[in-house]
Amino acid sequence: MNAARDAFAGRDAFAGRDAFAGRVRAFLPAMLLAGALAGAWELYADFSGVQQDLLPAPHAVASALWSNGGSVWRNFTVTAEQVLLGLALALACGSALAIAIHLFPLLRRAVYPLAVGSQAVPIPVIGVLLVFWWGFGIFPKLVVIALICFFPIVVSTVDGLAAVDPEQPKLLRTLDASRWQAFRFAELPAALPAALSGARIALAVGVIGAFIAETSTPSSAAYSGLGREIIDNISSGFQTPRAYAATVVLFAFAVACFYALALAERVLVPWHARRRGATA
Amino acid sequence: MRATRTTPRRRVLAGVCLSLVLALSACGSAQNVVSPPSAKRFTVMLDWFPNADHAPLYAAIAHGYFRAVGLDVEPVVPAETAEPLKLLAAGKVDMAISYEPEVLLARDEGLKVVSIGALVQRPLTSIIALGEQRISSVAQLAGKTVGTAGIPYQTAMLHTTLQHAGVSPARVKEVNVGFNLVPAMLSGKVAATLGGYWNYEAVQLRLMHKHPLVIPVNEAGVPTYDELVLVVRENEARADGQDLRAFMQALTRGEHAVRAAPAAAAKLIVKANPSAEERLQLESIEQTLPAAQPADASDPYGWQEPTAWATFANWMYSHGLLVHNPNGGLPPFTNEFLPGQGI
Repeated sequence: MNAARDAFAGRDAFAGRDAFAGRVRAFLPAMLLAGALAGAWELYADFSGVQQDLLPAPHAVASALWSNGGSVWRNFTVTAEQVLLGLALALACGSALAIAIHLFPLLRRAVYPLAVGSQAVPIPVIGVLLVFWWGFGIFPKLVVIALICFFPIVVSTVDGLAAVDPEQPKLLRTLDASRWQAFRFAELPAALPAALSGARIALAVGVIGAFIAETSTPSSAAYSGLGREIIDNISSGFQTPRAYAATVVLFAFAVACFYALALAERVLVPWHARRRGATA
Repeated sequence: MRATRTTPRRRVLAGVCLSLVLALSACGSAQNVVSPPSAKRFTVMLDWFPNADHAPLYAAIAHGYFRAVGLDVEPVVPAETAEPLKLLAAGKVDMAISYEPEVLLARDEGLKVVSIGALVQRPLTSIIALGEQRISSVAQLAGKTVGTAGIPYQTAMLHTTLQHAGVSPARVKEVNVGFNLVPAMLSGKVAATLGGYWNYEAVQLRLMHKHPLVIPVNEAGVPTYDELVLVVRENEARADGQDLRAFMQALTRGEHAVRAAPAAAAKLIVKANPSAEERLQLESIEQTLPAAQPADASDPYGWQEPTAWATFANWMYSHGLLVHNPNGGLPPFTNEFLPGQGI
């Protein structure tokens, strides 16, 4: 165990020396592709005759982002807070439900169909109800985000818990481990990679979840998130570049969150990250 | 219990303090600093994101007119336009800004709500066509495609305007473009739209040099109505008359402030809604000001014309938009809280 840890630390030290070059190499393909797509977009917007109000060119989006930086930033902090808190709520409820389903098969049969069905409920249908229960603050929005995010967490965690090598808990039980200890030392670590994959999917949908949450519940603040900013801009029909600028920020935020969680995965389950190599 | 018990001596002290405060506030030099001891929280749900139509409300808040009458007014932005009346009826907000047709629909569904004042005195909903469509009258819409926001009473308005111009509604194709009225016109997918406002979408198009043709629905055969109204629950209208009277008084002062300084009012809107464009808001405020005044100058600000309400309600009823006869029971509006009306 110690040897393995040393070997891992050694690898890290080695990676630290040319970490920058490595990181550039890792992100280069994505940056080149994004650059090429932006170039194609710019050419299309400039020369195809499509109106600026329908598809603004990247340079117009960039200048909208620059000139509204303050407003976009304040809306971003609102949205970011909602996404992170909403995801935390989804993680707490989702993993608790997954563990309960794993431990009590009856619950699986009772809850699973409802959990699947919950994904089909259009949020605007219940938006007013959530506000009726919890008012105009942040909580109804967190509930919406959690409702959208919890499903991938539950499914992947339940599958992860079920996929443990059946010999492991059995072995632990013969060593007089309690049910809880078998769960804690065999099933839980085995399920962690799958659970984290579920969390990454949840995070990616959580950003669009925040958009849905902001646009389907009322709010009383001037800065009430990028989703509101986008809807306000496109529904007036004339500030499309500003709507695109806010969208670009949402896009970047989803990417950043995804990779931040991948980093967390390396710390929490290093054995899994190494096995998969540098995919994330 | 002990902490809340008020001894006579304490009551005397409170009385002295109160009279001292009143005496100080009468001095006048520090007028905008002194506010009434306890302002009552009063939530107003807007009909849409903050825009030029709400200028009197934001002006009254910024100038402290509501605080001066003991109200702490907080505006809330809805997610969609049917929400304000629902949340009002559910008791989550104290007042909702909505539209006369929506108030009639809500009452038809049994919601106990009543309009106590008009923020805008006539229809803003208009038929709008871009200049490049070369349309100059409703009659020229025959054989064309018209976009609406998909609201049933807008479809009825379209039919009425077409019939008024001698065109069979069957000859016009109506498409539901949701809230994308302007993009639908810009992309050339529709010849015209019904649902945009002459003081908003039309102003935007004009600022973009699109030379729009704009026909308000009441100039094309639809009976006139109050586009934006202030709505409360019937119970509160019965019990909290004092607050509502105070609200209307402060709002009237807000409207005077907008009239005196439209540019400052536009700045307040942009502050409340950073996505709003100041130039458009100012233009829109200036265009809306005349529509905020009653046709008869002797009527107070906020006046709702009883015959106009009855005529419009009849129009909705005869088009099958309302199930129950709207002019049967209690009226859907009251002018009793307007300055100079009621008691």
